[in-house]
Amino acid sequence: ENTEPPPPALPSAHKEINLSIGFTDLNESLNELEDNDLDALMNDLIADLNASEVKLAAEIEGLGPPSATKLDLPAPKGPVSELPSPPSPRGGTQQKPRLLLLHSTPSPDEIEAQIKAEKIKLALEKLKEAKVKKLVVKVMMDDGSAKTLMVDERQNVREVMENMFEKTHCDCNVNWSLCETNHELQLERFFEDHENMVEPLLAWTRDTENQVLFKEMPEKYEVFKNPQNFYLWKKDRKTLRDMKDKDKEILIKENFCGTSTIVPDLEGVLHLKEDGKKSWKQRLFQLRASGIYYVPKGKTKSSRDLVCFVQFDNVNVYYGQDCKSKYKAPTDFCFVLKHPQIQKESQYIKYVCCDDETTMKLWVTGIRIAKFLSFCRPRTSKVSRPLLPSSPPHSGHAFLLRHHWAPNILPSASSSGCQERCQTAPKAPEAIVSSIPHTSRLRRPLTFPTPSTTQRRAPPDFLPPPPPAASFLPSSSLNSMPLPPPPAALDLPPPPPDPEFLPPPPPMQAYAGTGCLHLLRRLHQAHVGTGRSKAGGALLWVLEEDSTGATKEDYTVPPGRRRRWGRGLNVRTDACHEEKAGW
Amino acid sequence: MAVWDLSVIVEDLGEDAPAISLSVTSDLHVGGVILKLVEKTQIQQDWSDHALWWEQKQKWLLRTAWALEKYGIHADARLVFMPQHKPLKLGLPNGKTLRLRASFSSPVFQTVIGICRVINLRHPEELSLLRPIEEKKKKKDKDISEELYDLTQVPLTSASRPCLYNGMPAHFADSAQMEAVYKMLSVTQPPPAHEVVAKQYRPASVVDKAHIHGRWLDSSRCLMQQGIQGNDRLWLRFKYYSFYDIEPKYDVVRLTQLYEQARWALLLEDIDCTEEEMMLFGALQYHINKVAQSEPQLLTSTAAMDDLESALQSLEVKLEGESTSASDMLDTMSAPELNDYLKIFRPKRLTLKGYKLYWVKFQDTSISCFKSKEECFGEPVQQINLKVPHQAVNPSSEGMNEVYLRCEDEQQYAQWMAACRLASKGKSLADSSYQSEIQSICSFLAMQKTNSGSHGKSAEADESINTYSLVSPRYHKKYKAKQLTPRILDAYQNVSLLSLTDAIMRFLQIWQSLPDFGLAYVVVRFKGSRKDEVIGIAPSKLIRIDLGVGDVVKSWRYNNMKQWNVNWDIKQMAIEFEGNVNIAFSCVTADCKIVHEFIGGYIFMSTRSHNKSNTLNEELFHKLTGGHEAL
Repeated sequence: ENTEPPPPALPSAHKEINLSIGFTDLNESLNELEDNDLDALMNDLIADLNASEVKLAAEIEGLGPPSATKLDLPAPKGPVSELPSPPSPRGGTQQKPRLLLLHSTPSPDEIEAQIKAEKIKLALEKLKEAKVKKLVVKVMMDDGSAKTLMVDERQNVREVMENMFEKTHCDCNVNWSLCETNHELQLERFFEDHENMVEPLLAWTRDTENQVLFKEMPEKYEVFKNPQNFYLWKKDRKTLRDMKDKDKEILIKENFCGTSTIVPDLEGVLHLKEDGKKSWKQRLFQLRASGIYYVPKGKTKSSRDLVCFVQFDNVNVYYGQDCKSKYKAPTDFCFVLKHPQIQKESQYIKYVCCDDETTMKLWVTGIRIAKFLSFCRPRTSKVSRPLLPSSPPHSGHAFLLRHHWAPNILPSASSSGCQERCQTAPKAPEAIVSSIPHTSRLRRPLTFPTPSTTQRRAPPDFLPPPPPAASFLPSSSLNSMPLPPPPAALDLPPPPPDPEFLPPPPPMQAYAGTGCLHLLRRLHQAHVGTGRSKAGGALLWVLEEDSTGATKEDYTVPPGRRRRWGRGLNVRTDACHEEKAGW
Repeated sequence: MAVWDLSVIVEDLGEDAPAISLSVTSDLHVGGVILKLVEKTQIQQDWSDHALWWEQKQKWLLRTAWALEKYGIHADARLVFMPQHKPLKLGLPNGKTLRLRASFSSPVFQTVIGICRVINLRHPEELSLLRPIEEKKKKKDKDISEELYDLTQVPLTSASRPCLYNGMPAHFADSAQMEAVYKMLSVTQPPPAHEVVAKQYRPASVVDKAHIHGRWLDSSRCLMQQGIQGNDRLWLRFKYYSFYDIEPKYDVVRLTQLYEQARWALLLEDIDCTEEEMMLFGALQYHINKVAQSEPQLLTSTAAMDDLESALQSLEVKLEGESTSASDMLDTMSAPELNDYLKIFRPKRLTLKGYKLYWVKFQDTSISCFKSKEECFGEPVQQINLKVPHQAVNPSSEGMNEVYLRCEDEQQYAQWMAACRLASKGKSLADSSYQSEIQSICSFLAMQKTNSGSHGKSAEADESINTYSLVSPRYHKKYKAKQLTPRILDAYQNVSLLSLTDAIMRFLQIWQSLPDFGLAYVVVRFKGSRKDEVIGIAPSKLIRIDLGVGDVVKSWRYNNMKQWNVNWDIKQMAIEFEGNVNIAFSCVTADCKIVHEFIGGYIFMSTRSHNKSNTLNEELFHKLTGGHEAL
């Protein structure tokens, strides 16, 4: 699909805009796609389906008796499974939603049967958690063209961007970002690389004119290029501009590589649009890791007096556009804080106006760091989240199960979910991502490409001599002894020249890609997942949303795909549960 | 060579015993003196730890090969022969007192290393000893009965790392008593009764805090030289807030004590935080205590395992009593729902209507309301999709609608609340955490109940933790316990599923991200200035604070520092930074050795690297912090 020609006629954004996301007729909506879009999409889909089948098959092969015995589990007698191919949306045929579920007949031993049932139950539970949503997203490029691609709900933005790099042949520098715009509110923000891609898009309304854009945003990783602008913002411009690379590195190390990421201590008077009113009010704001606070009138700046303005769970930060004309803001440099679900005017949207662009970017970046901090914190809900973003579709699952049954096999798996994500996450942005606390392995993530010789530390003798003992000296004189630069600096290699400061994303031919994107529609929601019974069988379960939005189940087994697992397994297809489906 | 009499007091003979007189010559070496002395006492015992202490010069005679004349010892010298290791009452960050033998003859830096080796705490360079704050001993004679954990029997080893047994140093496995000591060290303490917190000394101002930092012992001199006697009380605390290489697997004691120090710093308002932060700290303390009580020897278990464990457990619970036929299975497979009559209230302007009864159904992540149970198959009157933080707030594309659901009893409330909480995270009722969510809400409600009932006077059951013991006294004044409960509960929901290690790590992270984190204050007077000001020593910089406003006036980073000098006589520090910035100040509340040591110490901390991970460069530390002694 890489050879796909740029769309000859630019798809008019407005035309696409009118398509609803939550469409009802697959056929119709597919027809509205341009041919080349459709082709590209088909390619994706086919590749995707093939890939998942192959992986599934591979996984099943891998589930032999060895693992079962190793895990000290009952002999594989119980649950059986069959693997139908996931339904393809090709041709827009109204697919019967289906569920395939095979059972063995209950074993005579009731206890064993119950154990088995538990296993199946667990597997099904896991399956449900693994259901996967997919969106077809139209991404608008700078030049007005568009690319269509399929996004899987397990993908993070970084992975989607890699697809975009492949499609656009752009230079893949770290500034490339996927942005979402909110047309109605005139907001824009770029997604963070670690963010889930599908989640925010699902918040869009049915008839939205929102778009997904693909463009370069230099401020995205500016904090790693010039950390002094954020962490030493109080210093004068000249000091900041003349900051030595060595000092920048130290700043990064200090703020991102310690046991906790440090949020810049921003403070300043900003204009706040009062709830539901047109007037703007000045307040002295402070940024802390726990949220944005302001100093109430007549109070001191001490922590205890601060009033919480907003906390960062469930709040995103956006750039506001045309706030001056739209809301009579003092300047056009506004940032907006709102819950991702809010798509229209609401009193719960907070507008903050800064005096200049620098201040705005300072605050937006600061808020992003603070938000990132909460992202990094230990998470408990690994099940509902992709464990291994770059892993095959089902491995996250297999991983979990394997982990539970054989904890010793995977010692590293005992770390927090976010850690796993980081270790497998790709290149550039991991300067951030891997600064996760409490893992020594990730402690020094800033692996800048530098000659290794520079990493050698000077011997300790090089260190400052201690201040001399003044008791042997005339009391009035201050003894000056030269002190070499603090040894901290010695530990760090000099930073590479700016462009390479962050390692670029995977190499690709450098085509200049421009453009802009637009969410097309939710093509279909296929829920695919596998689980493993302890007995070593695998289950596949396909559920699909039908046109009414309600999901039904169908328990037919495609002929010729029936397989037996383990020994003495009875396979039964059950086709009588349709009305029982509570979905 | 002339023979003269040298009198030596042997400590082991008792306080009143007369000094032993030895005939010596000036060329006799110290080892020879000791030999003579031991022979003369005629006591058979292990004297290997003993050494001579020269009282007038406040000096140990540790070089046994040195002759008396080389030391400059004459007949008037008062020498004491005593063990180098003496018992010390050590106040730990968790408030407990540990009695152990510490070296009184090596520099405090090494003494701390030795102490940390005994209690299995890694990276001892981050800790130091300080003199405790004198407690008012007016009415409190009970303090004598304070629990003492005794480790004085632990043999002094020279091994750099004690061998581990069951994850703890072997000496802790000797007896149940020793194991109890290790448990005290490695398991977090329950929240203190709030009266205890209220009674403790709380620094009221930056100047008060500065005085505390004047109590640090000098790392380069030994305890004897600093007037510390055997059985004296000292505090062991983390001094350099630059925590290196935390590894929960090996750092059980370190993490626990670090958490305790952070917790006490917050409770005693040693470090300021906002109300929201305090509620989160409170919630985490509650959670950490709960988890620590329920699973005693963990810190090793991990989040992922916990998750699966609980998932399996709840599955087992659900499957109990269920038949295993396929259809039943499918039944239970379908997403569970909640159905009930609930009273619903939608606050709108201009409505006076109160709560109205609806049949409410909770499915997946949305709530549907029907006029009655019979209509529940038709179109709902209203459908609310919850993927939001708060139960009562429901953001739709237009913004948010507030809907209140009123429940009849606690059980119902817990069920619905838990469902809403999960839904706001995008999980359905089928999620494994639903039951635990319900339980945690119930237990928190129970806590509220006991509090409002008995007002926490007698904290008998572990369930009845007083919310007051989770927050600093400032909030005791500001809120009633009853008002605190829902706020802490609110914060608690975000952390209730964390494993113990994760919860502790999170606590520490939030603590570390407080703006005032890691600041050691010293009252100083800048050269040429007539008023007192405060210097804050942070892990990476010095800040200058105006005492009048309490504002940070200026900050200087260590990595811009070119040199610093101490004039010990006039107690003045002069520091030169890049760009011809020079500052000079004299220290008021602390000896300038302390300030000097802080700065050098932080620079030392920043030199630690993984390449040479486990070997501590003591020499470098002394070079950077030593002052006189380093020469």
